[in-house]
Amino acid sequence: MASVELRGVRKAYGKLTVADGIDLKIEHGELVCLLGPSGCGKTTTLRLIAGFIVPDAGEIIVGDRRLSSGGQALPPEKRNMSMIFQSYALWPHMTVADNVAYGLKLRRLPKADIARKVASMLAVAKLEKLADRFPGELSGGQQQRVALARALAVEPETLLLDEPLSNLDTNLREEMRFEIRRLHDEFRYTTVYVTHDQLEAMTTADRIVVMNAGRIEQIGSPEDIFLRPLTEFTARFIGGTNILRGAASGHTIHCGRLAIQWSQGQTDGQAQAAISIRPHEIELHPTPSPGENTFPGRVLRHTYIGAQRDYLIELDPETHIRVVTRLDQHYAPGDTVGVHLPIQHCRALAR
Amino acid sequence: MIGAWRRLDVSIALFALVALVLAILVVLPIGWLAWYSVTDNSGHLTTANFVRLVADPAMRKPFIITFQIAIGAALLACAVAVPLAWLVSRTNLPARGAIRALVTASFVTPPFLGAVAWELLAAPNSGILNQWARKILNLDDYDYIFDIYTVQGVIFCIACYTFPYVFTVLANALENIPADLDDASHILGGGAWATLRRVTLPLVLPSILAGTLVAFLQALTIFGTPAILALPAGFHTLTTKIWSLFQVPPQPNLAAAAALPMLLITLGVLQFQRWLLGRRSYVVVGGKNSPPRRIQLGALKIPALLLCFLIMLGPIFLPYAALIKSAITNNLSDPLSLSTLSWRHLNFILWEFSGTRDAMVNTLILGVASATAVTFIALVVGYLAHRQLVPGHRFLPALAMAPIAVPGIVMGVGLFLVYTRPPFLLYGTLGILLVAFVTLEMPAGFQQVQAAMRGLHVELEEASRIFGATRMQALMQITAPLLRTTIIATWSIVFIGVIRELSATILLTTSNTKVISVVIYDLNESGELGAIAVLGLFLLVITFAIVLLVNRLPILGGRPVR
Repeated sequence: MASVELRGVRKAYGKLTVADGIDLKIEHGELVCLLGPSGCGKTTTLRLIAGFIVPDAGEIIVGDRRLSSGGQALPPEKRNMSMIFQSYALWPHMTVADNVAYGLKLRRLPKADIARKVASMLAVAKLEKLADRFPGELSGGQQQRVALARALAVEPETLLLDEPLSNLDTNLREEMRFEIRRLHDEFRYTTVYVTHDQLEAMTTADRIVVMNAGRIEQIGSPEDIFLRPLTEFTARFIGGTNILRGAASGHTIHCGRLAIQWSQGQTDGQAQAAISIRPHEIELHPTPSPGENTFPGRVLRHTYIGAQRDYLIELDPETHIRVVTRLDQHYAPGDTVGVHLPIQHCRALAR
Repeated sequence: MIGAWRRLDVSIALFALVALVLAILVVLPIGWLAWYSVTDNSGHLTTANFVRLVADPAMRKPFIITFQIAIGAALLACAVAVPLAWLVSRTNLPARGAIRALVTASFVTPPFLGAVAWELLAAPNSGILNQWARKILNLDDYDYIFDIYTVQGVIFCIACYTFPYVFTVLANALENIPADLDDASHILGGGAWATLRRVTLPLVLPSILAGTLVAFLQALTIFGTPAILALPAGFHTLTTKIWSLFQVPPQPNLAAAAALPMLLITLGVLQFQRWLLGRRSYVVVGGKNSPPRRIQLGALKIPALLLCFLIMLGPIFLPYAALIKSAITNNLSDPLSLSTLSWRHLNFILWEFSGTRDAMVNTLILGVASATAVTFIALVVGYLAHRQLVPGHRFLPALAMAPIAVPGIVMGVGLFLVYTRPPFLLYGTLGILLVAFVTLEMPAGFQQVQAAMRGLHVELEEASRIFGATRMQALMQITAPLLRTTIIATWSIVFIGVIRELSATILLTTSNTKVISVVIYDLNESGELGAIAVLGLFLLVITFAIVLLVNRLPILGGRPVR
């Protein structure tokens, strides 16, 4: 096992740059999620690490070996990695046991060792009874577990996962999220996990790398990313938020008629700035009374969403915000309410 | 993956080699063809050849007749195939599987064999149908009802074996229309007839047209049928005319000039067809295809089935019966009974006629060699192109598909011109036939491989790489086994294509390099119809055995595949 480091990795197809100078260090035994919308370059980054794609510039270092550098790459089979593919890529002409044993056979292990390892891997993945089945005869969740078992059987230095849960239904996906985390805690391989699902990233990752348009937006723990987003993209992509824009002066922005104070984060020093406040952090009061960061607002829309209520509120004709409240706070469309934006939750964004 | 090429030297070398081979196969003959068409015997530039095409009535007339035949056959094929395809793919017609099998049988029956069989059936004097007609209608001895040696006869015979082209394209299109589209029409108040007329037919109209165009091209470029039916009647089509220009004294320049328009028409029609089918993409919209609901025929079931079998009289039932009868009776006019049974023809073919065994051996050698070569090249091209392994990979499929625009007889002329001169003196050897078959069958083989490659997820191979397999190991352990059925199917399709080829073969064969199709043609000239029947049935048995084998292929050991 070893750390994985990307230094200034760049890849373009013609005019389309898919990885635009990626710098990232993944520590030994760490599970890192690459998170972003489709087309953000996360899968490209994973495949660069795997050696399927040769970088145009930059280098990829695993442990103390430099595996890729501008224009060159050690082929995937020499990297001692393993991977779980989005399609699972189980070989339909081999049984479950053959699929799992494949990597071990290529490593020319003695037959007895292979049998023992396959058996123990199948047990870990709860697949013992399916050993002689063909992939076509398994359900989606079972196929997913075979892919996991096959990937772990070779005891890789590095484990790569490419949207491994995107083909499963919701319940199974939740179960497999915890399963992947459990297996990671058990084996502690250096793991890179690509997903576009923030919940998946939150529940599995030690650190999350938010990517956008071929670049890294932010790296941090799940809490960091959610509570302390640095950019508008991160704030919007993780959890959803209200963005308020206006002229900046000190720790205040002037958004239309409203002067909103903030205490978290940092602007980028420009005259215009944006702050973020999440819908559930905003407080509503029945009467619009003056106070710190408190403004009168009018309820435009009320939606009941089970455990909470979701309001759309007009602060001024150009400024609408979403607020999520407890069930006992009930207002009808047209009501005038007091809207409190707690200063400690108002976060200035750099971009 | 441009950056990856440094570690793929082998692929590069292979790419260069395959590209070169494909270029030689296609470009060389067409290049010589074009050159010959604008030169005279001594190699000086001239337009005389083309002037003669237009001015000489002996050249002009075949053009006109060929177009009459091609248009007539295409329309007839279309008229037959449209109801048949609709009945089989959209209604609850009984015995749909059997009808499909019969269409497949028509598809693989060599057209020249069908023409010979129709000679047996509908020659003015000896034809079986005319004999029956005389008996039933009390006609005089030399009266007849059917005459196959006419333009109409040629049209009929060609349509018998080209209608499957229309059928296949149309049946596929009909099956790909999501049932929702029909349902949407029904829910808005459209009955079965209104839906057929306003939704289903307009949707598949481009496919009908595209299939008909293929039939048109087949009819335009076919050699066997007119050679057998038109020559005795004293008229030429373009293909037979080109062939006659190679008889003594040979006029290769004029032949080249006559072949060129055929090439250009084919190119144009194929381009038009592609445009048609490209616009058709709206047929397959909609992700979830509900299984098509079949229209209930009700009381019309039996009449519809009878219609299908009536249609099948033409390509299958009557000709096959005639072939079998003439194979086992002494004379064609003998009634079929135990006393007239005879092994004379079988005996003649197997023991007396020296040409048979050589032809069988040659056919076998050429079939196996061509099928193997095409499969190999198609696999390499398909793999390099699909995995985008080498720069310029885009051009390889185009090169492999190029011969589809070259009619057999045109290819025959081109190859004749290339390989009768140094440095490639292949004429008179099996080599020139091998080159011809590999070139002509490459598109069919490549299409098979390409379709399979598309269905094979790249990740299957990548998974093997990441677990430690080299590219070669991944190919041998993962890709090759998964392509096994494709390989067998491709091989078989090429083999069948080779044993039925006549148009190019007839120009390239010599007395030492006869193949079965040519022997059948020769025997026809000498009137040995019984012997042809034996040989033809032999050819059909091999063909059907292969078709059955391919259809029964257990997909990966018969186990369901994800």
